[in-house]
Amino acid sequence: MRPIKGRDYARLKLVRRLLRAMRAENTPEARSRRLLRDWLSAGQRAQFDAARNFDVTGSDSGKRYRICYGTAANIRELDRNGKEGIGWCFAPVGALVPGDVMLAQKIALETSEAATLSVANRVPLLPRVTH
Amino acid sequence: MATQIVMDHSGDTRHHFDPTDARASAEARRRFETLTAAGFTAAVRTRPGDVRRLTAFDPQADETVFFPRLVGG
Repeated sequence: MRPIKGRDYARLKLVRRLLRAMRAENTPEARSRRLLRDWLSAGQRAQFDAARNFDVTGSDSGKRYRICYGTAANIRELDRNGKEGIGWCFAPVGALVPGDVMLAQKIALETSEAATLSVANRVPLLPRVTH
Repeated sequence: MATQIVMDHSGDTRHHFDPTDARASAEARRRFETLTAAGFTAAVRTRPGDVRRLTAFDPQADETVFFPRLVGG
């Protein structure tokens, strides 16, 4: 077989790079992040892009919660000054990826806060893990 | 085209259907009822960032998301 050289080699490298980028965009995590971003408000999306978390308002109490990137123990209740207080842990059953878990948590808190927290566990406030 | 998005380990599985097609709409309704009976929550966007739970199939919904039952971690 003839070795690939010059312009053909550059083209091949470009195609490989494009394929790698396409694969990376199609992982379960990447797809779930896209879905989550589509369902966030403009403000939540800006916060998520900047800090990998976003705030929601509970449907029953009006309390604010911060949903951080992750799948477990990733919700903090905020006080009136926006300071993080107790943590909450709940998630959909099954092995879902972070974007999906966070979207489910947003929907749950924004539409049926009390019922959601009745199944959730309180967790101590630990330093946040960043990815 | 309307879409039902079911969260799963692969990220999600999407089911597209034409709401004006009676057969496709009936199949989407069956999927809705099967998933919610299994404990899935269904939700739609009412406007950017705002969400509403669905307790019955809405043939007018452009995009419905389903996620499994919630449990404490």
